[in-house]
Amino acid sequence: MGAVMKIKPFRLSLLGLSLLIPAALGAVVLFLLLYAGQAISFNGFGFLGGVNWNLGNLYSDPVMTRGVQVPSGADYGILVFVVGTLLSSGIAILMAVPLSVGAAIFLAEAVPGTIRPVLSMLVELVAVVPSVVFGLWGIAVLIPLIGTYLAPSGNGYGLLAASIVLALMITPIIATTLLDALLRVPRENRESAFALGATHFEVVTKAMLPMVRTTLVGGIVLALGRAMGETMAVVMVSGGAINILPHSVFSPVSTIASFIVTQLDSAQSDPTNMAVRSLAEIALVLFLITLAVNACAKLLSSGALNVRSRQH
Amino acid sequence: MKLINKTSRMAALRGGVAVLALAGAIGAAGVAHAATTLVETGSSLLYPLFNIWVPDFTAVNPGIQLTTTSTGSGAGIAQSMKGLVQIGASDAYLSDGIVKKHPNMLSIPLAISAQTINFNLPGLNGDNIKLTGPILAGIYSGKITMWNDPKIAAINPGIKLPAHVIIPIHRVDGSGDTFIFTQYLSDSTPAWASTVRYGTAVSWPAVTGGIGANGNPGMVSALQANPYAVAYIGVSFADQVAKDSLGVAKIKNADGKFLLPTATTVGAAADSIVTTTPPDERISMVFAKGADAYPIANYEYAIINAKQPDTDTASAIQTFLTWAVTSGNAMKYLTQVHFLPLPAAIVTLSKTQIAKIN
Repeated sequence: MGAVMKIKPFRLSLLGLSLLIPAALGAVVLFLLLYAGQAISFNGFGFLGGVNWNLGNLYSDPVMTRGVQVPSGADYGILVFVVGTLLSSGIAILMAVPLSVGAAIFLAEAVPGTIRPVLSMLVELVAVVPSVVFGLWGIAVLIPLIGTYLAPSGNGYGLLAASIVLALMITPIIATTLLDALLRVPRENRESAFALGATHFEVVTKAMLPMVRTTLVGGIVLALGRAMGETMAVVMVSGGAINILPHSVFSPVSTIASFIVTQLDSAQSDPTNMAVRSLAEIALVLFLITLAVNACAKLLSSGALNVRSRQH
Repeated sequence: MKLINKTSRMAALRGGVAVLALAGAIGAAGVAHAATTLVETGSSLLYPLFNIWVPDFTAVNPGIQLTTTSTGSGAGIAQSMKGLVQIGASDAYLSDGIVKKHPNMLSIPLAISAQTINFNLPGLNGDNIKLTGPILAGIYSGKITMWNDPKIAAINPGIKLPAHVIIPIHRVDGSGDTFIFTQYLSDSTPAWASTVRYGTAVSWPAVTGGIGANGNPGMVSALQANPYAVAYIGVSFADQVAKDSLGVAKIKNADGKFLLPTATTVGAAADSIVTTTPPDERISMVFAKGADAYPIANYEYAIINAKQPDTDTASAIQTFLTWAVTSGNAMKYLTQVHFLPLPAAIVTLSKTQIAKIN
């Protein structure tokens, strides 16, 4: 009887603390939904497919459109920013994955144990460099390079510059998670593969990499989340496109995050508030995209594709 | 150290409150602003001037602490409306919609600024190429794409314009510079006025190769990195533009004259609207009439809520703004950022508005 009635304060407090994080997440989603509600009903589905983003005339009287007061000419379409976000982080992942897999294998297999901590610390250091520093490097070094040697128009600002800067920012994230996993592959696996006469290359690709696939996918998802949400560095090098879809890697782009931060000031001077509400709706879209990416990753790493699950 | 500072400030604050209570009790308003903190945020164009002002202002008014931050005109307007800051700085005056919604909000001119149209044409940056509002509107809407377009060539005889694509650069962030630039395009070009209009951020027409840059520093570096580009840049960055050897265009004004922004031409623009400036001082100086009037000039505004929570904050704001439009308008401050002082009649109007703060 006493044992059943016993309240466990330690457990309860832990439960409360652990619920804080999902509660905070729920609160953010709820806020975005409530705040963007009016914009969602005003914009409808055209929001996702529209190429034009127009705050409307903030210096004339608001007009009644579709049942709500909005600045005259207001029209919010975000396809340009969704495409910019997906393309820039997608290309960044394509560049970062080979780079970070190579770096992780090099650190795990080709470097003496005494130097490894130093080198891996250097890789980790890259992960903590503030993004504005990457942006400055992009403006000072990358953009003149692309402008002079690659871009036909001579303009270095755009999708390629944004993707390269993002790739550099996320490479250490993937590399360090993968390195930790590679170092935890049981020695027996490695040694038995060698004993079977496998070359070093075969040991890595056949005996080790399949065992760390889950971790690799996890690292990529983390990196993708960072790339899609990155703001400042993208603002500095992407060339801030509006109302125009990219047609090559040298075209200026805008991402959702960079667009929100650059538009917020002006949106706040909209007396009807519809501009800020629409920005909240874009934030909601970004949230849903990252959620979808995470869900896909969970499927990839736990589902049918994961043939071997010998890690644990 | 920090702790001590904080403690002593707290003590000073408490002292100030005590003095205030006493002053209130005996009805002496003269000592009403002891140890009051004012916060300013907003326009990045106005920010350097505030930074020059603060040391000299606090030297004469040790009782007022003034903190300045550079965010953006939009943030300056929004935060002063919400009462988060006491002084919002903006290159743009408040819109009718905002004034209707918040009738207590004042737009008070502090100084006069202007904007340059800059270009990066290899070999031609020493020439002041002539440009007009309709040509710039054509460039920024993708209708004029080549530097040797007949429209540009016709007004620039003797200059060998390159057969190269023009790269128009615009601001991505909410900006008073975008506000006055698009106002110039709207005033000079009906097609622009009916489609894109003006604002701190506009829906830029799709131009292949057009670039967005962040802030005035971003405009300068994007212009420098892109030969054959054209950009609009706040006049407080004129020194940097000159240092980077970028070109400054002569711009066609309302009377058909091509002018560079100088003290004379920007002053003429200001003089031309002195008599028409309304009591609330919300008026555009862009495309002003007058043969010598430079077409892209503007008042730099303090955005203030006339209803302050307490009298000492209100009188501290009044003290500062009065100082800014009088002593603060001395050329020794303004020349550093290439601004011009307010005409005497406008100072009077600003003072009348300042008196409304309570």
